[in-house]
This record gives sequence, structure tokens and C-alpha cells, in this order.
Amino acid sequence: MADVAIGIDLGTSNSCVAIAQDRSVEVIPNAYGEATSASVVAFREDGTITVGNAAKANIIHDPVHTVYSSKRLIGRYFFSEEVKKARAICSYRIVEGPNHSVRIQIRDDQYSLPEISALVLKEMKAVAEAHLGQPVTKAVVTVPAYFNDNQRQATKDAARVAGLEVLRILNEPTAAALAYGFGQGLTQKVAIYDLGGGTFDISVLEIGTDVFEVLSTCGDTFLGGDDFDDRLIDLLADEFSAAHGVNLRKDPFAFEKLKVAAESAKKNLSVDDEVEIRIPGIVEHDGTSLSVERRIAQDEFAGLVMDLVMRTFKVCDEALQQANLTVRDLDGVILVGGPTRLPLIRKAVGDYFQQPPKTNIDPDEVVAKGAAIHAASLTAPEQQAYLLDVTPLSLRIGVAGGLAETVIERNTPVPIEQTRTFTTFQDFQERVKIRVYQGEARQSEENEMLGQFEFAGFRKARRGEVEIDVTFAIDSDGLVRVTACDRATGQQASTEITLSSGLSEEEIEDILEKGDTDRVQTASADDLIAGEAETALDTPPEMEIQPAPEMEIETPSVPGVDPEPPVAADVRVELSAGADVRVEPSAAADVRVEPSAAPDVPVEPPAAPEVNIAPPPAPEVHVEPPAAPQPVPPPSREATPSVAPQPSSNVAADAPAARPRPPTTPRPAAGPAAPRLESLDEMVEIDDLDILQNLDEGDDAGSDELELMEGVETPPAELRGAALDLEEPEGSPDDPVPLDAHGGVDEANVKARDAYLGDAGGDLSSYRDDEE
Amino acid sequence: MSDVLAPTEILALANILDELDYYQVLHIDPGASAAQVRQAFHASSRAFHPDANRHLDREHREAITKIARRITEAYTVLRDAKRRRAYDEGRGTGQRRMQIAEAEARAEQTATAELEGATPNGRRYSALARQDLARGDLAAALRNLQTAATFEPGNSHFKATIQDLKEQIEASRRRQKAI
Repeated sequence: MADVAIGIDLGTSNSCVAIAQDRSVEVIPNAYGEATSASVVAFREDGTITVGNAAKANIIHDPVHTVYSSKRLIGRYFFSEEVKKARAICSYRIVEGPNHSVRIQIRDDQYSLPEISALVLKEMKAVAEAHLGQPVTKAVVTVPAYFNDNQRQATKDAARVAGLEVLRILNEPTAAALAYGFGQGLTQKVAIYDLGGGTFDISVLEIGTDVFEVLSTCGDTFLGGDDFDDRLIDLLADEFSAAHGVNLRKDPFAFEKLKVAAESAKKNLSVDDEVEIRIPGIVEHDGTSLSVERRIAQDEFAGLVMDLVMRTFKVCDEALQQANLTVRDLDGVILVGGPTRLPLIRKAVGDYFQQPPKTNIDPDEVVAKGAAIHAASLTAPEQQAYLLDVTPLSLRIGVAGGLAETVIERNTPVPIEQTRTFTTFQDFQERVKIRVYQGEARQSEENEMLGQFEFAGFRKARRGEVEIDVTFAIDSDGLVRVTACDRATGQQASTEITLSSGLSEEEIEDILEKGDTDRVQTASADDLIAGEAETALDTPPEMEIQPAPEMEIETPSVPGVDPEPPVAADVRVELSAGADVRVEPSAAADVRVEPSAAPDVPVEPPAAPEVNIAPPPAPEVHVEPPAAPQPVPPPSREATPSVAPQPSSNVAADAPAARPRPPTTPRPAAGPAAPRLESLDEMVEIDDLDILQNLDEGDDAGSDELELMEGVETPPAELRGAALDLEEPEGSPDDPVPLDAHGGVDEANVKARDAYLGDAGGDLSSYRDDEE
Repeated sequence: MSDVLAPTEILALANILDELDYYQVLHIDPGASAAQVRQAFHASSRAFHPDANRHLDREHREAITKIARRITEAYTVLRDAKRRRAYDEGRGTGQRRMQIAEAEARAEQTATAELEGATPNGRRYSALARQDLARGDLAAALRNLQTAATFEPGNSHFKATIQDLKEQIEASRRRQKAI
């Protein structure tokens, strides 16, 4: 049996699975012939778990034990705005788990978000298996382009829990572009307008024959079709309350009925000019049964949501600006997501982009199809399409004054590696803490905390003398690795941060081992976002110091679009009419998943953490575990112990052991000056790193920083001096040795260079020819 | 293109990356146009995309990844005219690699310097132009800036601003006509 790989669009409201085989791409219908299945999980009284459209139907009967829109919560901290909002409007119970993680309370059990999503993914996997008649273990799973690293990691974990090896986390808009342009021989610039159930993304791409280059991507993870429903619900609830004095929001059953009605009214407005909402006997009041009856027309609905639509165009402005294009440069606009079926959106999009959007693409299926194409491409012997994606959010490092300094700007193509140089803040400082953030805010706490690690063992010297290069690398598989390196000694440390998702490596392995992917135990679920949350809260440093760990953050480097899953109802009609109504006895057909049922498919052994675990002798010097002042780590944090002590081969690659000196990248000269890291002991009062002001910012920035560090006198002059000698290579003995001198150049290298540069013939020159 | 390099060549290339400047990394001439830069990026990405080299062993995949990162870096700097100018300056003094943030910062410095003007007369007239702008007198600002530009023909900021002012003036004329 040939190894197959599927594409799964894991949506906020609906999910869709597709496969590309024999040069064609098809969406795989579920047992009921529906192209999409609701991303809803119902936990029934008798312990069975139902996923999909049947589960969705359950919302009205048992709103407290039916989980929907969980994608809005995945990878988030309990204290985040989105979670607060969800707690106010969701009928199921959202509780706080360990370390600020989010848990769903179902009767006596608590579920982590990756576990919930795993149930949905498992369902999609089962749908594919039933259709293909063979086990499926590999998948490309899509996420909104604007998902941050924590959300991506959590999604990836969910897939692993579901028994899937994730070939790639792909951005939804990129997937859509792939489905649109693959094999078409196009050369176009297109915008993908992706309004999903819970998120909005816009990506601008340049499509070539086989290259899909994302020029920019922007988004709003707080804006989606659900918000349109909410507007309708508000209208109905307010009017009802005015007419009858009864607040429907207070009654979970009535509220769910209202929601269902609002959603279906919205969908019908995609087709009809006017709809009637009628919910007889929605609530009993003073012995009378009250009903909701309301007609609503396109125009009135448009009035309710127009501000939301306008908000999407603000994001579009930003994306175009980042891509350095205007709407006139675009050859096409592609719509993705169920809500884009609304005539009012199509019209507004047409007006904004000054061209009608493409209508020959099914907005509900395009993302899954793109994911399937990519999955096939990744498992094929010959690569057929190259995705050049960007990182949607800036990666930052925490510095003094509660600020976060950008190391890699958003919309930078990946893979990429960038280094910033920092310095110590105290005389003879022994350790620094490196905090990694993602987001666009200057204030560190307004960004998403991805993780942190400590770096120790560098040369002890006066403040400002030690230079520590902090390198962020984002690879096309979306992993971010952060490495710290002392220039003078070559001392190096890197660490893997894997806690973002809320499931530690061990927890995932545990779950997989138990084979009990349907009913994942709470124990395994503990701290989602453990350590990170802590930092975000500004608690003392908590991470254990690991010798030569390698830090790896999954990031969003990948492409994505969030296609909003389709309106199942519409699709159903079309599909079931077709010949495709199979009644398969397979596990997949059975929507009900027995809790104890062992996974019907051989579960891939927990895919080992993709990177590291390589044996090569790493160059890193052993870092003395500094007596960490704070007693440490939440269990999940020290997680990955299996990985940590292993010298990572990645690092090895970057800094071959033989090298006498750390990789000397030419020092970021003018601009990014050397920020300084402060000692651990100071961390509680002051923040971490102090940035030596950028030259172009002048003294002001510097003195600002200094003011923030009360009690520590550091003359600005010294700061400036340190920054300045960036331009004077002869400066201090710590200065990086110029590349040529640093010993890496031997004869072989020179030869290799000459060869590469094309003085030699053969393959190399053909490479050049292609170029010119 | 995708089979350009033999495995040993990949390793060798990864080793000498630091000795290549961005143009060499992308295999283009320093005078290459923006379109050529993009084309070269696509071509290089085909050859070194980590996805396309999954069959290689770990060592080679890492080498490929390292090369791919440098290709992206080169592209990210060279595709932006301002950054590219900053890079070219640095390259003139022997610098081969310039982090994006550095290129950005240098470009900004240059922009600031250009805004002020580099010659006494250029500075004088551009200062006058800024005053005119503050008063909202576009036409006067344009005249002064054009004068400043005669002293500094190579000042791209002046040029861009002049163009911008002309467009604004034209637009306001059209609006008045419409009224």
C-alpha cells in the first residue's frame, strides 16, 4: 500500500480533509457524504464522544458538554483577552489549568485544548481512512497565517496526539494559493482574503510556475464569521429583552438555540435577500412560552456587520503596504472561508480591490485541497512546488525596561537566521536570561511569550565587555531555534522551547503510549503553556538552566490560511445527491468514538522531536548550572529532558566544534547595537536585557534605558562606547575576528568557493546559465 | 537547477558561506535589477529548499538549511532598494554579510542625512522647504526643494519628495477643478 499523506483544514467551525492522488485533488466526504465536518466535540452522558456534525446537533440539547470553536482557545493563556471573551459567551466550562493554561471542564474531567483538537483531527483522519481503505499517518495541517508560535505548536501537538505525523504546518492562505495556482503555469500576484469562523487573514503572494512566494501576510485572530453571528445574536437578544424583559443570554439552552438560528440565518443570507428567524418557545416566562420571530434583510444585516468588514480592509491595507503593492498590482483576489459567500462581503471585497473576486473556487474546500497538494508534494520523490513563506509576527527578545527588541521582523521570508549582540549589565555577571517574544508591541508584555532560557558560563568581565550573540533561526518547517553565544570564548548554549502548546513532550508520548487518544487523561494535560505564562506575568525566572540544551520554538513560519469551513448544510445537499453515499462500516463512518477504543490505526510512534537529538559532539562548552536562585520549574518546563542534554546537531552545524571562535557574523554594526543582559539577581527588579542604544537613536534612547535601571549607575558614555566600537574593529580584544582571519579558510574552501562562483565548468556553470 | 550540487559540494558551500557576499550567494551580478534579484531568489530556492532535499542525511540537510537561510537573508536585504544601498556601501569596505536590522538602520541614517541635505545650500533650501511644508504651502516647498536638488543631484530623498509634492499639487488642482 502506498504511503499516503492527507491535507487537513482544521477550522474554527468546520474541518475538511482532502487528498491529492494521481494528479487530481479531491475533498474526502465523511460518512454522511458531507465535505466538511463541524469542529465540534460532544461528550455524552454515557462516556461516548461524538465529533462532527452530529456533535454540533448536540449543542442545543447539551450545551455544557459540547465543545465548539475551540480553535479560538488553542495555544492561549487563560488570562488572555480571547479566553476571557470565550468564557463569557461559551456554554461549556472553561477553567484554568496549571500554569495559566486553558482547560475544558467536562463533568469530572478536564481536557486540554490540544486534546480537543486531536479529537477533531482524529475524526478527519478516520474519514480519510474509511475512504481510502488504508491507514493514514501523515498529514499537512493548516493554521491561520497569523497564528503565533504557541498556537502552531499546540496544533502540531494535537495532530500528534491524534496519531498523525505532521509533515508541515501550513498557513491557510498559502494553501489556498497553492490550490489555486498549482500546475496552472500562472505568473500572477494574488491576494488571498481569508475570513474564517474565528480568524481573518490576508496574504499577498506572487505565484510563478512552481514557486509560490508569500510577499506579506497580516491578520486578525479576533475576527471571524462567529463575530457576524454574535451581531445577529445581540440584535435578537436585545430586542427580546426589550420586548419581554427576559435576558436570553442567561439561559444556556435558549442562548444556544439563538446561536444556531443566527448562524443559519447568516448562511441563508448568502443566498437569500431576506430571511426569517423563528424560534418558537425559546423560553418560558411567567408561565407563557415566548418565541423569537424576526425578519432580517441583507441591508439590515450589512449594517450590523459593516464595521467588521471594514476592519478586514484595514488589515488588507497593511498587507499591501508590507508587500509594497497597491490593489492595481494584483492579478486576482481569492476568497477563502464560509463567510466570504455572503454577497455583502463579495461586494465589499470587489470594491476594495477594484476587481471582482474569483468565484470559481469553493471557499470551504480550497484550503484542504492546497494542504493535500502540499502533502503529496512533500511525499513525492520530486518536489513539484516550492513554498516561500514568511513569518507573520516579529520575533523579539526581552530587554531592559520591559521592552522587547525585534530580532526578526514580521514578513521576513523563511528560513532565515539573524543575530543581535547583547552585553552584560553587571560587572562580573554570570548569567543572563533570554526571553523570546512574538508580536508587534514594543512593550514586552504586550507580546506573546514564547519561552525563555538562561545562558551562563561566558567570560566574566566588567559590564558591557562581554558580547553575547543571540541568534534566532526560523526554518521552513516553522521551528525557531534560539542560540546564545559568547563571542570571546565561543561558549554556546541553545535551548529548545517546546512548552508553548500546553502539552509537554512526555505528556504527548504518554498519551500516544497509552494509545488512548480518545479519552486523554487530565494528568497528561497539565500545563499547557506553563512556563511561559509565568514569565508573561513577570514572575521570577523559572526555567531551569540546562547545560547545552537547544532551544527550539515552533514558529509560524509557515504558510497558512484559515479557510472557514463551510456551511455544512449547503454542502450536504450537493454531496448526498451524488453517488457518493457510502455506508462504510469502518471506524470512520462511525462518528461515535468509543472512549476506550484503541486507535484503530497503528499510531506512529511519537514522532521524535524533529530536530535535535543528534549525537554529534556539540561544540558547546558545558554550562555550569548556576545555582539557580529560584527553585525551579514546573514539570512541563523541564520537560524535554530527553532532548535537553543532548548536544544538538543543529548547533553543531552552525558552529563546528573545531572552530576556535564562535561563528563570527559581522557584527551588527551601526544599527542594532549591543543590548545588555542583566544578571539573574537583578531580574526581579529590573528587566532583562539592556540595549545599548542604536546609534541612530542617539543618546536619548540610552538615557531612557538607564533611567529605568535605578540604582545601577552605568554611565551613558560607556554604553555608547560599547556601541561605537562596533564600528572600530580594532577596538577591544573581544571584537570578532574578521572573517578572513578567523581560520576557517583553508585551501579546500577557497577551491569550493571558486567552484561555486562558477569558474569551474560542469554543473556549476549550468547553474549560472540558468541564472542569467 | 535542483540537482546542481553534489552532496560534497553542498557541504563545501555551507562551509564557505561567510566568504560570499550576497550577490555571490544569489549568483547575480552586483548590478542586477530588482527583478533579477527576485528571479535569482526563486532559482536558488528551488536548488536549496529544505523541502526538496528531504532525502539527504541529516548533515547535508543541515548544510542545505544553512545555505537556504543565507539565501533568504541575501534576498531580504537586496530586494529593498534602501537596504541594498546600505549593503553596497558596506560591501565596498569589505563587509560581506549585513544583518537585516543593520541594513535597515543604516538606510535610515542615510535617509536622515539626505533629508537634511549634505551641502550648505542643499541644507539651507531643504530647511526652507520644510518650513513651507509646515505652513502647508506645497508650491513654495516644491520650489525650494527643487533649488536644493540642483545642489545635490544625487539626493534620492529630495527627488522622491519632489515627485511626491508634484503629485500632491496635481491632485489638489484636480480637486479644485472638480469643484
